[in-house]
Amino acid sequence: MTDPTQAGLRESATFDRATIAGIQRAAETGVYDIRGWGAKRAVPHFDDLLLLGASMSRYPLEGYRERCDTDVVLGDRHARNPLHLDIPVTIAGMSFGALSAQAKEALGRGATEVGTSTTTGDGGMTPEERGQSKNLVYQYLPSRYGMNPDDLRSADAIEIVLGQGAKPGGGGMLLGQKISDRVAGMRTLPAGIDQRSACRHPDWTGPDDLTIKILELREITDWQKPIYIKVGATRTYYDVKLAVAAGADVVVVDGMQGGTAATQEVFIEHVGIPTLAAIPQAVQALAELGLHRKVQLIVSGGIRTGADVAKAMALGADAVAIGTAALIALGDNHPRYADEYAKIGSAPGYYDDYQDGRDPAGITTQDPELSARLDPVEGGRRVANYLRVLTLEAQTLARACGKAHLRNLEPEDLVALTIEAAAMARVPLAGTSWIPGQGF
Amino acid sequence: MCGIVGLHLKNPALQPELGRLFVPMIEAMTSRGPDSAGLALYDDTGMHVVKDVGLPRDICAAHDIASRSGYQAVGHTRMATESAITPEHAHPFTPAPGLALVHNGSFSNHASVRRNLAFDGITCTTDNDSEVAARFIGREIARGADLEDAMRMVLKEFDGFFTLLVTTATQFAVLRDSFACKPAVIAETTDYVAMASEYHALAELPGITDARIVEPEPERVYAWSR
Ligand SMILES: Cc1cc2nc3c(=O)[nH]c(=O)nc-3n(C[C@H](O)[C@H](O)[C@H](O)COP(=O)(O)O)c2cc1C
Repeated sequence: MTDPTQAGLRESATFDRATIAGIQRAAETGVYDIRGWGAKRAVPHFDDLLLLGASMSRYPLEGYRERCDTDVVLGDRHARNPLHLDIPVTIAGMSFGALSAQAKEALGRGATEVGTSTTTGDGGMTPEERGQSKNLVYQYLPSRYGMNPDDLRSADAIEIVLGQGAKPGGGGMLLGQKISDRVAGMRTLPAGIDQRSACRHPDWTGPDDLTIKILELREITDWQKPIYIKVGATRTYYDVKLAVAAGADVVVVDGMQGGTAATQEVFIEHVGIPTLAAIPQAVQALAELGLHRKVQLIVSGGIRTGADVAKAMALGADAVAIGTAALIALGDNHPRYADEYAKIGSAPGYYDDYQDGRDPAGITTQDPELSARLDPVEGGRRVANYLRVLTLEAQTLARACGKAHLRNLEPEDLVALTIEAAAMARVPLAGTSWIPGQGF
Repeated sequence: MCGIVGLHLKNPALQPELGRLFVPMIEAMTSRGPDSAGLALYDDTGMHVVKDVGLPRDICAAHDIASRSGYQAVGHTRMATESAITPEHAHPFTPAPGLALVHNGSFSNHASVRRNLAFDGITCTTDNDSEVAARFIGREIARGADLEDAMRMVLKEFDGFFTLLVTTATQFAVLRDSFACKPAVIAETTDYVAMASEYHALAELPGITDARIVEPEPERVYAWSR
């Protein structure tokens, strides 16, 4: 195909090709678009921040000789058995149903190999995942799919999901083509029929009843397990205060870029605030309560590199969680499947149809043949490798800033490249002392 | 970056000599810290603090430190890193009666500790990182910790590089971070304990050739009481 711009043709910024295709698709089918992945639009992100390495006024640490610790304790506010993880990078909740059993097992293996936690999802706990995960966080969702007290007790922590960055205010979705007999059985719903789960919990409607719910969960688990509350980033300052008031040990804040297995495109791109904007709000809420780093903050939504990890921690996160990046580590969007992606109308680097169960990489599918492509042991090794690299990269940056522990990174170690990022992250524009929104 | 010195007299007979012994010590640290200097002298009437910009020789002369008596003294010569050169930014930091801290190094997470202290209603008056450590120790002592425990808490709370010398009316304590790359030497005789960033600050002290000289180990609190 010749490049139309060569012939002097001009594409509209407002009606770009993806927008035109969306209108055409809507007109053709009469249904809105549902897809996986997270927001694809550009929003201010960690790339818009830089770290101030040490030089003369501060001293850096030596990479190979001087230690830079990475461990983190999660949930020691009320829980008798808090999690003590070796690294502050955890695997986010992704359901069995959205992912194959092999993918879930691989994530558990990878996390366990490097001493971190993995998380169930909207669909319950599988024996493979429990068996291969030293630290398994059990999600308690509005749908209650697969919920039972035995699994609650066999988990290492409980995450009450109020929302997800990709769709704050929306419920889960799993389309019929992924609802195999096993998935259906765990959810006690019919196979092959689209499932839409509730957008809010059926048995409480606000922080007042949530307090009671949390006490109930603590009783069921004998006050041993840390209880997390996960929120999609919107009114984060208030949500974090309320989560703490309701009794959370850990708050998980998922920014708008956060991944999803299946959500309306309009939801993914238009609801919520960027991860960068959410962290300072969450930290402010915790600090005002005197609980920053006492109620731990886990941040997710667009974490890709050790630089993202270091910057999130410098802004005040105690740990981060990864979803999309973990799937990519398993083999998602790999060029070796280029031909197969082409057959289903996609391409490596673009594939986001996690909802429809035809994933050539065998990750976001329940198809027995496709899912057999992913070897859980090999997948676990890849996830572990990737987690190690994230950690080493974060340590490299922390040492350069003179920190003997990752958690000692602080906002004062950061500057912003753009006014937008400076305002959202509340750090100065590089080379100035100007934090937009906080006077001159 | 900075020089620190301290002298803790065990033999009361030396007390009239405190200033005379101490002035050469702080002057020896001039090259490490030519911007400003400060000292705290302890005698039976309490702790007396002098801080100013300029050279230690001039500051000591202006206050006739050489003629002062007492049982303990700490001093600091400063080469400023990130905060201003003013008398207020000079060490020692003295956040509570009788408590003085001098620091060589730089903390890498002091902004976070400063915020935690502010939450407890403890505000720093300068943007100096060492003041944060002084106020942190002050808070721990106010909560009932003894000086040694308070200094061990510094190891948990603070990141970065430091050699600290902290004194109260009764105690004299030295601590280095886990890397121990900011220099320190301690000399002890039956008459005194002396500490300095470099040995030559101790070289004029009486009986120094027979003193027990140690380089303090990382992460270990060395403390003396009277
Ligand atoms: C395939 C997939 C399935 C997911 N399933 C769930 C889920 O069941 N429950 C949940 O709370 N979040 C779910 N999420 C969101 C993740 O927990 C996490 O918030 C998000 O992926 C983080 O953003 P990132 O993908 O940019 O790392 C899912 C995400 C993906 C990509």
